[in-house]
Amino acid sequence: MIAAGLAPHEPVAGPSARHLSTDELRQAIDSACDSVAPTWPLDRLVAVNPYWGRTSHDFVDVARAMAREAGSPLFMPPAYFAQAWSRGEITPGDLDQAACESRHGLDAASAPTSHELVQALDRMRVHCPQGPALPLLSDALDARRDLRHEPAWDDVLTHQISQFCASHFDTDQADWRPVVKEAGAGTVLGSGLYARWRDSLAHDRGVAWLMHAPHIAARAGRLPPSANQLLEEAVRLMQLPVGQAGLWMRVVLLRIKGWASWCAYRRWQARLDGRDDADLIDLLAIRAAWECLLDDGDRGPGSVWTAWRGEWDRGAQRAPHPALEVLSVWQRAQELAYRRALLAALQGAASGAKASQDAAAAAAPTPRAQAVFCIDVRSEVFRRALEAAAPDVQTLGFAGFFGLALRHQPLGVEDAEAARSLAPALMSPALVSTDSTGHATEDGGLALRRRRRLATSAPWSAFQRLPASGFTLVESVGGIYLGKLLGRSGVLGRWTEAGPPQAPGLSAAEARRLRPAMMPGAGVPADAQRVHQALGILRAMGLTQNFARLVLVAGHAAHSANNPQLAALQCGACGGHGGDVNARALALLLNDAAVRLGLAGQGLHIPSHTHFIAGVHNTTTDEVSLFDTDLLPPGHAADVQALRADLESAGRQARAWRAPRLGLPHLGDQPRALERALHERARDWAQTRAEWGLANNAAFIVAPRRRTRGAALDGRAFLHEYDAHADADGAVLAQILAGPLVVGHWINMQYYASTVDPQGFGSGNKLLHNVVGGRIGVFEGNGGDLRIGLAWQSVHDGERWMHAPLRLSVLIDAPRERIERVLAADATVRGLVERRWLHLLRFVDGDAAAVGLEAWQHGQWRTASPSADGRA
Amino acid sequence: MLPGLPAIYVLGALLSWCWPRRAWASGRGATLLAFALVGALAVAAIGGAEAARHDPLGVLVALLVAGMGWGITRFSQRYLQGEIGQPRYVRHLQLTLAAVSAIVTTGHLAVIAVAWVIGSLAMHQLLTFYPQRAAARITAHKKFLSSRLADACMLVALTLVWHTSGDLSVSGLAHWCAQRVPQGPLPWSLQAAAVLIVLAVVLKSAQLPVHGWLIQVMEAPTPVSALLHAGVVNIGAVVIMRVAPLVMAVPAARWTLALFGMSTAVGAGLVMMTRISIKVRLAWSTCAQMGFMLTECALGWFDLALLHLVAHSLYKAYAFLSAGEAVQAAQLRALASRALRLPPVALWARALLAPMAAGLVLWACERLWQRVAPGIDLPPSALLIAALGLSPLLWTRWLAGLLRVGLLCQLYWLGHLGAAAVTAGTLSVVSAPEAAMAWWVAGGFLLLYGLQTVLVAYPQGAWSQRLYPLAYAGFHLDEWFTRLTFRLWPARMPRRAVLGGGGAMVQLGAAPAARTVAAQGASL
Repeated sequence: MIAAGLAPHEPVAGPSARHLSTDELRQAIDSACDSVAPTWPLDRLVAVNPYWGRTSHDFVDVARAMAREAGSPLFMPPAYFAQAWSRGEITPGDLDQAACESRHGLDAASAPTSHELVQALDRMRVHCPQGPALPLLSDALDARRDLRHEPAWDDVLTHQISQFCASHFDTDQADWRPVVKEAGAGTVLGSGLYARWRDSLAHDRGVAWLMHAPHIAARAGRLPPSANQLLEEAVRLMQLPVGQAGLWMRVVLLRIKGWASWCAYRRWQARLDGRDDADLIDLLAIRAAWECLLDDGDRGPGSVWTAWRGEWDRGAQRAPHPALEVLSVWQRAQELAYRRALLAALQGAASGAKASQDAAAAAAPTPRAQAVFCIDVRSEVFRRALEAAAPDVQTLGFAGFFGLALRHQPLGVEDAEAARSLAPALMSPALVSTDSTGHATEDGGLALRRRRRLATSAPWSAFQRLPASGFTLVESVGGIYLGKLLGRSGVLGRWTEAGPPQAPGLSAAEARRLRPAMMPGAGVPADAQRVHQALGILRAMGLTQNFARLVLVAGHAAHSANNPQLAALQCGACGGHGGDVNARALALLLNDAAVRLGLAGQGLHIPSHTHFIAGVHNTTTDEVSLFDTDLLPPGHAADVQALRADLESAGRQARAWRAPRLGLPHLGDQPRALERALHERARDWAQTRAEWGLANNAAFIVAPRRRTRGAALDGRAFLHEYDAHADADGAVLAQILAGPLVVGHWINMQYYASTVDPQGFGSGNKLLHNVVGGRIGVFEGNGGDLRIGLAWQSVHDGERWMHAPLRLSVLIDAPRERIERVLAADATVRGLVERRWLHLLRFVDGDAAAVGLEAWQHGQWRTASPSADGRA
Repeated sequence: MLPGLPAIYVLGALLSWCWPRRAWASGRGATLLAFALVGALAVAAIGGAEAARHDPLGVLVALLVAGMGWGITRFSQRYLQGEIGQPRYVRHLQLTLAAVSAIVTTGHLAVIAVAWVIGSLAMHQLLTFYPQRAAARITAHKKFLSSRLADACMLVALTLVWHTSGDLSVSGLAHWCAQRVPQGPLPWSLQAAAVLIVLAVVLKSAQLPVHGWLIQVMEAPTPVSALLHAGVVNIGAVVIMRVAPLVMAVPAARWTLALFGMSTAVGAGLVMMTRISIKVRLAWSTCAQMGFMLTECALGWFDLALLHLVAHSLYKAYAFLSAGEAVQAAQLRALASRALRLPPVALWARALLAPMAAGLVLWACERLWQRVAPGIDLPPSALLIAALGLSPLLWTRWLAGLLRVGLLCQLYWLGHLGAAAVTAGTLSVVSAPEAAMAWWVAGGFLLLYGLQTVLVAYPQGAWSQRLYPLAYAGFHLDEWFTRLTFRLWPARMPRRAVLGGGGAMVQLGAAPAARTVAAQGASL
């Protein structure tokens, strides 16, 4: 059938031309599809490790694979390390130790010396440190074409697939869309992504005209009807060597990795709900089908196929480029250098602060106030500032969804699509919440008003968007945009500052009356469940005794105008949203008298004078605003007043610390001017770097705050509170490693990948960003593939990288056996550690006040103190 | 005073060239100075100073361009922070502004022609601000070709005008036409010149089927798109207004303009509905709006065309600069009902009644406004087009809809009044009505209105789905142009990056060298 259409010549008989068994085909497809990590939509853009599908392999092996399959680097270029070396950031000791580690299991004495490594790096600066990536048939075809006089096939087909996918998946941007049958209605022929693509290409004349390839449409019509059949046919047609079908499919899928990541997201979500989604396989089939369409069937000595196969075989057999080994040692050396600095900071703080802290603790057994922040690295700066401003305030770190995985349905909005998932991407939210004033009738009234107001915007939206109205629209309201232009450019001063309404359809006063509330109905936590929840959260937080009069629960949110990737700056644990709802929900839960009573019954006594108050830390301006102060018991006004003052002075310090990084060093000592400048930045529609987000993150510390208190961690560490004494069975530690740690690792690798390969795994230049499908993602420029990852502006300030790509160093304060037990039970985290996706260390108390670290390597604990000689 | 305007921008460009480190300061200084100058002139003109009044059209458009230039320079300074080549950007931005302000303020056709060339060349540099982006090169090259074709048309046209009338000044041409027109049809040379000028404008205003370059210029920083869509592409209408006495006297030229304009307004409008990315949607919208504006010119409705030019500039500049807010807009739409949920029969009934109601309100408002300004008057076909546009407001809610329609009518008449004040005296004299053309155009709008109603009423219907692939492909109009470009006069392309390895060699401190992306044409 298809052979008649695509390959008029008989395939060359040979061992490579045999048919794949169904199992082999399935395995190959799975190996390709499973290697793709999801990418979340723009309105819930959480960080993700883009190599997540490959973490079952060793980090350096993945570096080799990515170089071979996509030409994508996993290390910074040699010049980067050379600079770090010449600045003295990486010492010979670091290099020696890294080299020694890299030779594990081999003869350690054969490890290259630091001198050899420096020489190797110098040589590399002259040569390209990476071999070419594996080619596809389309590349071989393009190599023969005169690309000055004809568009390249690779560009054209990427564009074709990308535009097709956009129209298929778009639900928000276009007003006129193709009919997409709902997935899950069974595998109806003609409804899947592949079947629709095949159908549309068969009727598309555009490519044929542009490329002068009139046969394409007819050939597309003769393609096999299902994705699996197509892939089987493609493998046969390409006559791939035995066992390389999976490799070929991975290479194919990496060519369209933006949309592949989108399809992987759909698959991820479907699987969270217990379903599955075949779009990813369909996309693989589409890109593979293009290889078939471009094959002229000629297998002779001078044919395109022969040229391609020669290249492919050479590439597949080529040994990994030796440069990769050298760079991997340098990468490790840089991580060791950071570990050295981190340990020094921890030791300095420990020796300096221990005495005074102990004295303070002895004098005031309960802190004046406690403040729980998100583990986010931006909180570290603020917590340090708060503790400096108010030494009798205790701060804690906890994942910013505060243990409440919410599915938040705004009041008066029934559309399930509009519900926000306020939970880490790893989990499907279990609790449903909404907004409420506390009175059912009032809620009903507000909901009705909101629905009515939102409904009136529908005809206006039609007027704005329909083509025949556009002309009248411009001639009537166009003049109003003069005011908007002036207002946004700041000419008219502050009165025009127009942020998007926090609660569309509600006035500010109405929105203020609403508080988050657990939705009544199915799956509602009855009191016992609520108590159980509260208990679990407090225990995980390590907050079970010694309650202060005031406990602040602070989520965080970022403010940045005109920024399609704003969600990437929000709280990842809250699904890329601000953390206010979760913080308020927790405070309300813990202030509930019934819950307190239940907790007391379980042996956890919260004193009656303790009040929980919710707040949100604005990470762009370092201000903390408090919620629900109207619920404050009368005696607490003074406490809140004092806390406000502390938060303000902490904000000033934190802003001063951030000023030089934001290019405002001259404002470091002018608090008022700096505050104004940051406010301006947050609402400036031309600002592409409102804040640095989680750039430069490098460590994840699971320990009580006393381990880190006073240490200047430079906003590079996630801090999770953990008290090993209160967790005898290791359940809390297991939870932390399975949840927050993995989220931290995703964030870490998201920044890592966007820095080492800004073209492949970063979303390019913000100046060219072009939002696709309302929320799906961005194109860079006109089109091309969907872009994933962080923008160049998010990791680079124009002169230097603001993120140093280091794998996460995880520091745990727990006994050896407990960590080993948790690792033994958690295959995911164990895999990440063993395959070097992160580095695991634990605190050891040395003699005197010295804090030490030991690292978990190859199943053993080894001391990781700087005094230890690298070669020892 | 106005001839000094381009000089200010040129000075700004020179300063930024001599002191690249202070490029933004010179750019901002020059644009602010120019804006202040035109602003003062505009105030003087409103105040009644005779010296400032002889060219109100020039003052108004110059004010628009100067304001836009100032705002976009301010925006760009922060937006481009950290980019390589900022002085280059400032320089070409100033040069573009100099050329555009020269076109709108000069009274000489030769200056218009030369400034148009310079502006296009400076714009070309802005469009290829990222020279390593192949897509940017191809697009800019396509623009280069259509612009040079347009220049050739202008050159021949001006030669013919010079040969026939012996005068290339705008006033001279108007004078000559005023004397010659009553004596019968113009000589063939002038008729040909008029058609050629119209063709040049069509080429420079990105009308179908030479629209491709405008759609694909998203390869340059956002403010460049804003400048292009709000301050450069609409200059064609100003040129038409300058040579209005000639064009209005040549039916072939008017019909050519109306034909291109009208088919673009309808075609590009339909394509716009299918676009899946925000910037490309905005570009198709510009394309359609330019078509409509040129149609208004062809019909001699210069006051409306001027209103459209100014209002569209403001609207589109804002839309581009705030394109990053597309995500919030989508979220907002998701909160509100996604579509007009009406049964098709009810929708059809309303779609039929709504234009009548809106038309009635428009007409009533016109009568009211006539008490203030007796001269205000629009042909019925213009009212029909406006009424069709206002109709969707009445599709689902009568009362709120009528309130909104009433309010919009006031804005519409107010704008019209302002524009009429500017065109009074010069352009109103030559705007010979052409009833047949007007009704033909109104018919086109009825067709568009009917089609969009079909699409809203039956989004999954056979017609919607059958037409969709064609509209999504942009009617395949750009493919042949791209193909031809590659064949005849290929762009100079950057060396193609090693496939898949584009990111391997990112230079430290450099903006990432782009992997070659996105073929042109296809279905943008």
